[in-house]
Amino acid sequence: MGVPAIVRLENLEVGFHSTLLSIENLEISSGDILAVTGPSGIGKTSLLRTISGLLRPISGFVQVDGVRSPDRPRRGTIGYIPQKLGLVRHSSVWANVMLGSRAARSSSDSKERAINSITAMGLEEKKYESVKRLSGGQQRRVAIARTLAQQPKLILADEFLSELDEKTSMRVTKAVTNYVSASGAAMILVEHDISRAKEISDRLLIIDDGRLNPFITDTSILEV
Amino acid sequence: MAGMDREFKELLISVTTVIIGFWAIVQLTSGLIWDWNGWKALEPQSYPPCEVNNFFQFACSTAWIGMIETIKIAILATFFGMLLSLPLGLLSSRNLFPSYITYPSRAIVSACRSLPSLIWAIVFVIIVGLGPTAGVLAMSIYTVGYLGKMQYESIEGMNSAPLEAANAMGLSKAEISLWVVIPETANHLIAQMIFMFEYNVRSGTVIGIVGAGGIGYYINLYLKFLEYERVAAYLVIIFLAVLIIDMVSIYLRSFFVDDSEKTKPSWSGVILPPKETIDPPRSSNPQQF
Repeated sequence: MGVPAIVRLENLEVGFHSTLLSIENLEISSGDILAVTGPSGIGKTSLLRTISGLLRPISGFVQVDGVRSPDRPRRGTIGYIPQKLGLVRHSSVWANVMLGSRAARSSSDSKERAINSITAMGLEEKKYESVKRLSGGQQRRVAIARTLAQQPKLILADEFLSELDEKTSMRVTKAVTNYVSASGAAMILVEHDISRAKEISDRLLIIDDGRLNPFITDTSILEV
Repeated sequence: MAGMDREFKELLISVTTVIIGFWAIVQLTSGLIWDWNGWKALEPQSYPPCEVNNFFQFACSTAWIGMIETIKIAILATFFGMLLSLPLGLLSSRNLFPSYITYPSRAIVSACRSLPSLIWAIVFVIIVGLGPTAGVLAMSIYTVGYLGKMQYESIEGMNSAPLEAANAMGLSKAEISLWVVIPETANHLIAQMIFMFEYNVRSGTVIGIVGAGGIGYYINLYLKFLEYERVAAYLVIIFLAVLIIDMVSIYLRSFFVDDSEKTKPSWSGVILPPKETIDPPRSSNPQQF
């Protein structure tokens, strides 16, 4: 032990008007990759949105990099890859990746970071192309490059490997896991494919369908 | 080929209808309010002397001077209106700012829109005196109200995913506005600005009546002298100028909609419906769907 926790969830209840998911206690340390899996509509995306500060918890606390909700963590601490990617469609690949680079905690070498992450994602030739003209898989790589250029302490990724072929998926996974281990960041990813989730992550959270029980307690969260 | 024939046929029908309609109006109103003497409106003014080439003498006429002044007023009003309305449009967007910012900002936008440009023109003629300056100010204020509303509605309708990603990253509101919102809604903002210019040209013909410059000033003048044939000629000139500006505006706006990716904008698209609606489906067999 002794590794500082980047994310700490305490008695957290996630949802919009009613509780979708309840987590009693969870810590994610530096260098950890946690995969969350479970059926659709169970609250996986809501969990990521709550951790990122986009959604207020119904009750409980989220602590990211020592900052407790409702306060927001420092600029650039969280890199979020939503399911819909959240790219500026009318801007170029470069502009999108620079957006992440500008959001970084350190303002130095922002261009270099953007170039490196574009290269890591194999998008050098598409650098000045408008995002809307790229394929779904290429757009996904732009979103990942944007997050890598940001060099966040916590990466939240919602099904970030979907639409990628096997070879590209391996390349992207390698780049992201290398970043997490080298920088001491943490990562929480939502993944439907359990075998893929096991491959990438150190820990796996399987969330049951708790439709009969409005409160999914920590006993229904199985750590594998 | 069948599509081309149909396109040509529709163009022919449109042009013929316009010519027959115009001819009918001329015949019906001839002698009442219409007189070819009215076209003296296109003759150069006797003073100051016209020094341009004989072929371009019409450029010294009151009709030309008035119309050009109206267009200049519209360009400046659209420019200044856009400069002011964009920050207000951003501040009024509920997906960007909290209600204690959006409400006051929306109130300013609504206040600018609450009076028509003609009333604003009267107000500014009183403040800054007669002339195009009053016209530019009046129409700029109205543009802020009208364009501001269209802008915040576009911004509120944008995809929420880029905003969520930028918010999670911790970017400031100014950075989100500059690097996410404006690029993402740029097509809408440009199309709205072009539409507003077209609107300002139309409404700019009216504000001259209260002394705020443009072609309306001359219309008002000739109405007072009971020179209705000249007024009629002016109205036709305004109609033609607005028609041309409308068509150019439709053409330019077609570059800033997502559909332009599939079909390149064309001049025929200004008059005729898009080709997809002209060409009948190749197969009429519903089972193929």
